[in-house]
Amino acid sequence: MIAFLQSLIDGVTIGSAYALLALGFTLIFGVLRRLNLAYGSSILVGAFAGAAVFAQWKAGGWAVAAATLAAAVAAGVYVERLCFWAMRKGAAIASMVSSFAVWMQLEEFLALLFPGRTLSFPPLVERSVFELGPFQFRTEYVAMLAIAAALVAALEWTMRATRFGLAVRAVTEHPEAARAMGVPVARIAFWAFVLASAIGGAAAYLMASAEEQVTLHSGMQLTFTGLIAMMIGGIGSPRGAVVGGLVLGVVETLAQAHFGAAAREIAAFGLLFLLLVLRPGGLLAQDFAVREAAALRRV
Amino acid sequence: MLRLERVARRFGGIEAVKDLDLDVPAGVRLGLIGPNGSGKTTVLNLISGVLAPDDGAIRLDGARIDGLPAHRFARLGIARTFQNLRLVAHMTVRENVWLAQHTLPAPRAARVEDLLAALGLAAWRDTPVSALPLPQQRRVELARALAREPKVLLLDEPAGGMTPAETREMCDLVARLVPAETALVVVEHKLDLVAKLCPRIAVLDFGRKIAEGAPGEVLNDAKVMEVYFGRGRGDA
Amino acid sequence: MNDYVISVLANIGMFSFLALSAYLLLITGEISFGQQAFFAIGAYASGIATALWGLPFALALVVGAAAGGTAAGLVGLLTLRTRGLYFAMATLAFAELVRLGLQQWVYVRQIEGEPVGPNGVDGFRGIRYVFENNIAPGEFLSIIAGLLAAVLLGFALVERGRLGSLLRLVGADPLLAETQGVNVKAVKVCAAAAAGVVAALGGCLFAHLNTYVEPRNFDIMLGVHSLAYGLIGGLGTAVGPLLGVLIDVGLLESVRVFQGYRMIVFGGLVALLLVFMPRGILDETRLRWLGARLRGRRHAPA
Repeated sequence: MIAFLQSLIDGVTIGSAYALLALGFTLIFGVLRRLNLAYGSSILVGAFAGAAVFAQWKAGGWAVAAATLAAAVAAGVYVERLCFWAMRKGAAIASMVSSFAVWMQLEEFLALLFPGRTLSFPPLVERSVFELGPFQFRTEYVAMLAIAAALVAALEWTMRATRFGLAVRAVTEHPEAARAMGVPVARIAFWAFVLASAIGGAAAYLMASAEEQVTLHSGMQLTFTGLIAMMIGGIGSPRGAVVGGLVLGVVETLAQAHFGAAAREIAAFGLLFLLLVLRPGGLLAQDFAVREAAALRRV
Repeated sequence: MLRLERVARRFGGIEAVKDLDLDVPAGVRLGLIGPNGSGKTTVLNLISGVLAPDDGAIRLDGARIDGLPAHRFARLGIARTFQNLRLVAHMTVRENVWLAQHTLPAPRAARVEDLLAALGLAAWRDTPVSALPLPQQRRVELARALAREPKVLLLDEPAGGMTPAETREMCDLVARLVPAETALVVVEHKLDLVAKLCPRIAVLDFGRKIAEGAPGEVLNDAKVMEVYFGRGRGDA
Repeated sequence: MNDYVISVLANIGMFSFLALSAYLLLITGEISFGQQAFFAIGAYASGIATALWGLPFALALVVGAAAGGTAAGLVGLLTLRTRGLYFAMATLAFAELVRLGLQQWVYVRQIEGEPVGPNGVDGFRGIRYVFENNIAPGEFLSIIAGLLAAVLLGFALVERGRLGSLLRLVGADPLLAETQGVNVKAVKVCAAAAAGVVAALGGCLFAHLNTYVEPRNFDIMLGVHSLAYGLIGGLGTAVGPLLGVLIDVGLLESVRVFQGYRMIVFGGLVALLLVFMPRGILDETRLRWLGARLRGRRHAPA
């Protein structure tokens, strides 16, 4: 029982970072109705930039974080301009495939710049463990959870209390109506993309600092983790993204605890497949998202 | 031939169709009118099997067909057109009409050609439908529906978006080309078309049938007038 | 023909199967990122058939095709209610599950003192049919070509006949298809199974030409590439996906000089191309236009 609860706690912690990834995906899908397959690699660019800054100048957490976010946003803008903004309306699948192409581009770009393929990343806080009753808490994980929770709250506030957030929600709900109301849809989409890249950059930072390294392979992992978490929770729903991230984190942790490391991925994809077969919309599916996703079949 | 018995259909909290009884024997032409939102399109969707009723029964030649998948409805002889036109844009006129024949055991090229000729579409046989003007596109829909030689034909606003002259032409075509034994249900807003084409009219309002009978009676019925024109417009 | 050219042509041939498999599903309106799963199933099943069960190659093809087709049909059935984007993700999830599953699966037997068979992460070594039967690469290439030609013939026949426009109707407007009497669900499952067979055939050839396969061969990259081939080359005809394969492999070879830049160039080209031609080079509209021009504008619109 204790072990189970411990896994639960660990799962929720890592799940909070997953939730951030899922939020980024959801944000982009919400305003653009398209899936950005280059998400993981674009934020990986951020993580590598942060690692480079660390390696070059032995800089502290803030500088590394700043570099990570800036580079993630820059890469995100590149993806947005080439794969999404430039595409005609309705070419949703083409955008997806295009973003996949750019994913490959970015990975190769990183491989060329960093032939070592793995760089070390500074940890968030000094590694230490503290105990609370029968449970162990790793300080860096707690820090990660706290930061992630704060970011989610900040995002929620942005969506609820700012004009930008209102515009984003309007575009997400009904782009045509928003356009008719004078909302500059393309510009909002751009800034939502920037925000999503920043969130993703933060997630990448958190995950890289937990591992204390970044590897090239992470790009695929980041993309699919975010994707699966978003799909579990329900496309287009920010709440769903958070729930999905947490659920995924817990399921992965439990699977690893009982069946070993290999079971993590199997559990993640197995859960996704099962959900998609049984409840195609995801756990907290939004109406518009189900309709849109069904409509997305038009190439 | 076609019978709806106490059919009801809900969408969330809204009762789109409520307690509806309709009887359309072979050869009868029934017009279905009513203000927007009265459930006319839902009724057509129910009769063509696109939607299943929540209550009640739909019978074809006495046998219940509600609950069957839509393609079974089609195979049993129910054909329809769509209010918003469902044509495959990049296919030609001929190919679009041919689509109807796909699932018939013995597709007949001759029939397609006859229909195209009868509807004045022969010259456009090989033109992509997207290049045609609206009245011609509606004729293609009609041709496609007729190509199946259906027992029951459902027309959803066959004159939608057409000028009075075009409407008269469409009315003529339907009157001439729909075989006598077919049960025909026409949903339309244009009352003159419905009155000319259909010896019997049913009026829906908020999902319920409020009147049924010959055009003369129905269109002068007080309830119907109220629904269309509101209260207080009657003679003092 | 030297070995290098043979191997390039062989790759073009084998990846064409995958491209055609994804294309078939695209026609019926479904985006699949997971055809590599059936490629893998075909590879492993046929490998087991020859290397472990001693069956002749022709029979191995049948075994592989049957395995791939059945699995694909099953997935098609399971995902009937799953639409559009969700379907795409489901296929991706399934393919990853297959890959991860193969990483765990061990089915090794001692054949003539050597361990032969799928060995988890280490892959499946010893698919030595071509060595044992003295089939030179050039000969095998002609087998690939022959099989591909047969599959293409099948596609051509389907496209010209009623079945072709029926499939495209299901893809373009399933509701309309239903009201014309088409059992859309049945069509989709059958198309999925057929696509699985095509992919599996490619997998059989892949396994036997390379004599060794590992789960890593069948990753998401392969799947998205297969999809991309159809999208780049165009969905108007089966030649489209082939064109896509040619462009990719052709580019790979011509950019060989700049070793590490292939993805950057290819990726950028794909992205740019899709901006201007979202339905690919040979899409339906362009194809009709081309057809009209070739027929001397006899049937072109007024």
